[in-house]
Amino acid sequence: MAIAAAAPRIRSMELSRGTIYAVLAGLLALVWLASMTLGYRLYSPAQVWAALFANDGSETATVLAGLRLPRALIAPLAGAALGMAGVMVQTLSRNRIASPDTLGLNAGASLAVVVATIVFGVQSLVGLSLAAAFGALVTSIVVFGVAAGAGGLSPLKIVLVGVIFASLAHAIVEIILTSNEAQLQQMLFWLSGAFVDRPISLFYNGLPVVLIGTVAGFALAPAFDALQADDSTAASLGVPLTAVRALAFLAVSLLTGAAVSMAGPVAFVGLVVPHIARRLVGLRHRHQLAAAALTGAIYATTADVAARFVIYPVEAPVGAITAVVGAVALLVLLMRRLA
Amino acid sequence: MTDMAASPSPVHLRPGVVTAVVLAIFALLFLAGIGFGSTWIPLETVAQVLLGGGEKTSRLVVLQLRLPRVAAAAIAGGAIAFAGYLLQRITRNELASPGVLGVVDGAALGVVLFMAIFSNDTNSLVVSVAWQPLAAALGAIAAVSLVFILSGRQASSAIRLLLFGIAVAAACKALTTIFMLVGPVYQAAQAARWLAGAVNTINATEIQLMLAVLIPTGIVAAIAARHLPPADLDDTSSRSIGLNLPLYRVFIFFLAALLTAGAVAFAGGVSFIGLMAPHLARLLVGRARLAGILTSILLGAIILIGADLLIRVAFAPLEVPAGTVTAVIGAPYFLYLLMRKDNTNG
Amino acid sequence: MDDMLASRIEVKNLTLSYGQDVILDALSLPIPSGRITVLAGPNGCGKSTLLRAIRRLHAPQSGQVLLDALDISRLTGKELGRRIGLLAQSPTAPQDMSVEELVRLGRYPHQAMLQPWSPRDDAAVAAAMAGTGVEPLRHRRIGSLSGGQLQRAWIAMVLAQETDIICLDEPVNHLDMAHQLECLELVSRLNKDQGRTIVLVLHDLNLAARYADQLVFVSGGKIRDSGPVEAMMRSELIAEVFNIGARIITDPVHQRPMCIPFRRQ
Repeated sequence: MAIAAAAPRIRSMELSRGTIYAVLAGLLALVWLASMTLGYRLYSPAQVWAALFANDGSETATVLAGLRLPRALIAPLAGAALGMAGVMVQTLSRNRIASPDTLGLNAGASLAVVVATIVFGVQSLVGLSLAAAFGALVTSIVVFGVAAGAGGLSPLKIVLVGVIFASLAHAIVEIILTSNEAQLQQMLFWLSGAFVDRPISLFYNGLPVVLIGTVAGFALAPAFDALQADDSTAASLGVPLTAVRALAFLAVSLLTGAAVSMAGPVAFVGLVVPHIARRLVGLRHRHQLAAAALTGAIYATTADVAARFVIYPVEAPVGAITAVVGAVALLVLLMRRLA
Repeated sequence: MTDMAASPSPVHLRPGVVTAVVLAIFALLFLAGIGFGSTWIPLETVAQVLLGGGEKTSRLVVLQLRLPRVAAAAIAGGAIAFAGYLLQRITRNELASPGVLGVVDGAALGVVLFMAIFSNDTNSLVVSVAWQPLAAALGAIAAVSLVFILSGRQASSAIRLLLFGIAVAAACKALTTIFMLVGPVYQAAQAARWLAGAVNTINATEIQLMLAVLIPTGIVAAIAARHLPPADLDDTSSRSIGLNLPLYRVFIFFLAALLTAGAVAFAGGVSFIGLMAPHLARLLVGRARLAGILTSILLGAIILIGADLLIRVAFAPLEVPAGTVTAVIGAPYFLYLLMRKDNTNG
Repeated sequence: MDDMLASRIEVKNLTLSYGQDVILDALSLPIPSGRITVLAGPNGCGKSTLLRAIRRLHAPQSGQVLLDALDISRLTGKELGRRIGLLAQSPTAPQDMSVEELVRLGRYPHQAMLQPWSPRDDAAVAAAMAGTGVEPLRHRRIGSLSGGQLQRAWIAMVLAQETDIICLDEPVNHLDMAHQLECLELVSRLNKDQGRTIVLVLHDLNLAARYADQLVFVSGGKIRDSGPVEAMMRSELIAEVFNIGARIITDPVHQRPMCIPFRRQ
């Protein structure tokens, strides 16, 4: 009776979600292709195919496989990671304008990288990547600790704590950088986030971390759903608030750390993507996370392609582009009172 | 809801007395700031020189080498502190500060655009560098205006206003980065240092310019500040007293932006002072208005002179920017504020 | 719904404090199963805290809450969520959440890691929505609902938990008269038709008198008295607990005691 009436409605909603996922996947493939073919030099899909599957050692193949492919893989992976982290952060803080940036994770990661480079003289990219992930993790623990120690995790407090923490980290970064002019230019570029000039080993390093974070996120999905309500309601449903939050924070750190370690701090991806995901598939976190992963991948890859052309022939840092887009999006959200 | 609950002054002295003490501290620190350097100049000698006397070498060192930097620090610190005071009173939010409304980042963008537009192929400026502060000021005012236009009616919510400011600031920062990368390394380094806040590159002309901008603005602001709503009235009650609140509020914001822009255009990004100084002033003198303004300004000057002095003492010969030092102190302080504020609000 | 033997709650010697302030002071209260118990008392007397302590949202300093003679501190959060449901005071959820998404939250305590959603859950959600009459609203965003509709949606969420015991913390404070009645009638029906134990905190003494089977007066963190409504609605008792003068008459419509308050000299 009631069940039968409910079932077809639910099923039809699932179907349209399926279509959405299919469309997103298709878009991702398209955008990936664009990433491989477009840029300072233009290549054809045929050349891409040849370079990947029948590498003849020619210059074209080397460029495609050695330069284009890494960034074409890192961009979507980092974007997906940041998108999912953004969903979790927004639910955790019950604040639709929160993101890994506003929790200071990106800034903490940058600080770790700068310290590692200049203070400890770390040169290898893998070493720097580890530093970034570590920085994100430590920042999240500290921010979480400070916010919790002050009597609970109210949404605005988390954001304010994070923003101030970020400014503190940036200030220290600036101190270090202005004393080391030689590395400034290189650092500046990385500090804004960039997918370019990355070895493919970064992708392989980042992939397992992203996978762990993803699995944790999906495991926590029902708890996230309940956490959208107030604390009392979630607690009376049986959600172990502190444990879930701690675990979620860890997952967020892993995902953000992985993204930052691959690409530097790419701003505002975790802010914009969750909103799009919610519009597409609704509030259930199993779907929010999945849609955010796909959308994040598409967004990051598109931004990466745009970065090649915005101040042609110089390559702009992709983080600066996402920051401008993200800032505009934030303003729109605020103006429309959507947050 | 008012965020500015009356905090009884822990210093149980009359505001006038406290202000006088702060003034004395300021004077001492001012003299010490000038006195400190490769050779220490005794405070009496510095005072002598400033009052018109003293022998030639002392005069040279004090007036040409030492005074500009310390004076700039004092003026910039005071101006930003005043701006912070105005902002905190008009938004009734003790967390408000110039840095948070996009003023500083707008100024940075203005400077970088100035450098990008007015450089020729050999990457040297084609116009006098004296125009740079104007570019900064224009950028700052444009940014804060944008914050206001976009926030519209939501500007009355302190927290939402902060968020609009953060968004505009983020956009400015990103654009600044892009333009910094368009230019050569030299530009990027210079811009970065300026962004962090440095008073060591000031000369006498710039100081005069600074004073020319800031003193009139300061006076107008002091007069306008008399109409600031008392700390514990809410918006509807204020309106009933006859204050045309929205217009007045915009005017105050404009003044605060001008003060900040005037300061950072010469001294770079030192925005945390605008947060700390008014708050400390309120702790010392409570809600007394005139004492509050004076003490804020003096404390701002003290903090910046102190920070600059600290850098010269501790970090020499590295020219660490003063703004970063204040940020390193200011950020934990802000966090402490945040935690304490939430505890009192339950 | 079959008549089920609802679980028995007993509060035993419960003491709860925030820092130095003692909110509940060695409180003992048996809660009859299958009945509506209403906690009433002046502001700040601890009635909401007591309700929340029953659902273990606060840990007591001493004493116990027993569920079928088992101390609830021995149960996990989810287990407790399957036995006792609580509608908190002023609950919140994202404005763009649909009614159905809200009601589905109630299934959380029943979900296992590997099998997150089953037809059983669908059935519970459907029954909950039907029982509260929010089925036609299922795809509406909760931000677009009226006060009464929203409250019914929240009750549906608690219903979806399928608990024997339902606690509601001041569920009608912010509602207009029509919706107050609608909500309390719904709660009363849940009790009468489905045999669920209901524990309510109510501000309005007359509403309490109308719907309660057992009325409990809480004052200063202690149980001042408890018992059937007729026995509790005495003017001297009410005067003492609420610090007002009270004249007791019989409500002509519902045949229940009703209190006319007046200021004491």
